[in-house]
Amino acid sequence: MAVRSKDTRPMIDRYRWWEVVLIYAGIFVFLFFMLAPFIEGFLVSLKPLSQLFSSPYKFWPENGSFKAYYTMWVSVPRFGRYIFNSFLISTVATIIVLALVVPAAYAFARFNYKGMALVLGGFLAVSMFSGAVLLIPLFRLMRTLGLLNTYFAMIVPGVAFLIPSAIWLLRTYMMRIPTELNEAAYMDGASQFYTFRRVILPIAAPGIVVVAITTFIGAYAQQFIFALTFNSKSDYMPLPVGLFAYFGKQDVIWNELMAASFVGIAPALVIIFFLQRYLVGGLTAGAVKQ
Amino acid sequence: MGQLSLKNVIKTFGDFEVVKNVSLDVQEGEFIVFVGPSGCGKSTLLRMIAGLEHTTGGDIVIDGKRVNDLPPVKRGIAMVFQSYALYPHMSVYENIAFPLRVEGAPEAVIRKKVNDAAAILHLDERLHQRPGQLSGGQRQRVAIGRAIVREPEIFLFDEPLSNLDAALRADMRIELTRLHKQLGATMIYVTHDQIEAMTMADRIVVLHGGDISQVGAPLELYHKPQNTFVAGFIGNPRMNMLPARCMGVTANGVQISCQGQSVTLPVAPRAGLEGAEMLLGIRPEHVTLGQGDLTLRATPNVIEQLGQQTIGYASLDGREENFLFVLSGTRGIEDDKPISLGFAAADCHLFDSTGAALERQVDIAAMTAPTL
Repeated sequence: MAVRSKDTRPMIDRYRWWEVVLIYAGIFVFLFFMLAPFIEGFLVSLKPLSQLFSSPYKFWPENGSFKAYYTMWVSVPRFGRYIFNSFLISTVATIIVLALVVPAAYAFARFNYKGMALVLGGFLAVSMFSGAVLLIPLFRLMRTLGLLNTYFAMIVPGVAFLIPSAIWLLRTYMMRIPTELNEAAYMDGASQFYTFRRVILPIAAPGIVVVAITTFIGAYAQQFIFALTFNSKSDYMPLPVGLFAYFGKQDVIWNELMAASFVGIAPALVIIFFLQRYLVGGLTAGAVKQ
Repeated sequence: MGQLSLKNVIKTFGDFEVVKNVSLDVQEGEFIVFVGPSGCGKSTLLRMIAGLEHTTGGDIVIDGKRVNDLPPVKRGIAMVFQSYALYPHMSVYENIAFPLRVEGAPEAVIRKKVNDAAAILHLDERLHQRPGQLSGGQRQRVAIGRAIVREPEIFLFDEPLSNLDAALRADMRIELTRLHKQLGATMIYVTHDQIEAMTMADRIVVLHGGDISQVGAPLELYHKPQNTFVAGFIGNPRMNMLPARCMGVTANGVQISCQGQSVTLPVAPRAGLEGAEMLLGIRPEHVTLGQGDLTLRATPNVIEQLGQQTIGYASLDGREENFLFVLSGTRGIEDDKPISLGFAAADCHLFDSTGAALERQVDIAAMTAPTL
């Protein structure tokens, strides 16, 4: 009897040994390039401050410890508050964006009306401006509205800049939901709102989660610039601005700064991992025959 | 209850007339099939009856009431879509219950109706599964179940079987016929598959370019097509058309000359046909080997052996189109060798230059089984 192959992979997925080595080498190079700052940051957080300026520089910490993760709370006692602020601003911004974007994306995906292309194009154009370009007009606007030094000063512009991309993203997702489902629900007597609530929303859930994640990350990332310009109250400072507290008058407490950065990111990571569980693909399976 | 009339119904998209002046009466409990090639307006017509598509002109009347501007629910209509259109996030039970939930029916009523529908459609075991876990035939049954629970007077089917494979389609055809008998409701069914049309319909409506070409019982369309379009559309393989010239009209029929032969066809005579160009139609299954009232010398190019029948594509002298013939059983015909093909005058169809048929003198009612 001939030799039987135990390999069950399809032919297209089979590689020679040197191809496998090359693939993994490539993956390693790219991953290292992306993760190097994080690795170095983490190593710095483990080192005693004195070792940071040693020459020759040592990447690997000697007598490394997690001490900075304790002392950071002492050097900047309000750090917990900053994390909470960051979290609050991003969460509220995400909720507002979702509340506005979900119905809007549905309308853009399902209905045709005059000027729709114009409005959509407008959204795209707006999202081409970064918030930084518009800081001065925004500052005047905030001052006129009396929103300076409030949470709203950081939430409202954030929401405004996050809406366009969220609409485009979710609209694309919703356009993939077959129109027949709307027609079937209409035939069964369901109103537009009933159909939206009972049929469209559950099917669009994975898309909504994607939008929620990107919006949350977006809000987390962009709050720095709004917080820096529109807020001077340290009670409302979010994490990125709060990190400046580790810049002392003379020294920067680098190891604690790095430790604080990692601790500050943690809640966002938890949220994203939590939402990711709902990213189930193929929820439309069986709806219509493609 | 379940009586539908279309009166001069028109549908235009911009300047393009999709449905042109269609009038039709559907009796209660009838199984009507709309059939026609792609783009003939059959689906549009169905969607207008359903209330999904706006009607440009004319009246849609259900049980004596004009329903043009009523939403589907108020028309007492349910529709089964070609793509099933099931709600993927709901169980089979919830899918079928959906119309009742919209109505706000009490839980006990919903449970009873859904269970009844599931029993009719053999879905009892599947009620707690999601559509994604079902096979194509089961999904289609769920879609039908969703239509049944509302107990509509009229069911609309938009090519419901076209996504199923051939074996399943045959099963579902029988199941739909059984369902029609069981429910006794009016059903309007759109398809491009003439086997579905022939086997299921009480009456077939053949649509062509937005117009009704002919309405009639399946066998009537087969034996007495009113024009060349219906003659070509009903019957598979399609009818052969041969040019002919009218030589004279007698009380017994019309004498024509075709392929250099003269023959009298038993069709309803009409005055003023002498000398006119006509078309002689003969179905491939009526062609036999050897001599007939009309005999052609032909050379088969391709022979398809199906075991139960033998299909031949032959070329005739001076004609580009293939002449088709279907012989029952297995026949050892070789291609590229000339043969004689004959057929009876009584099996011929005759069409005038406008494509309208001269009525054949056949009595469909007399085509009964011999008494034992």
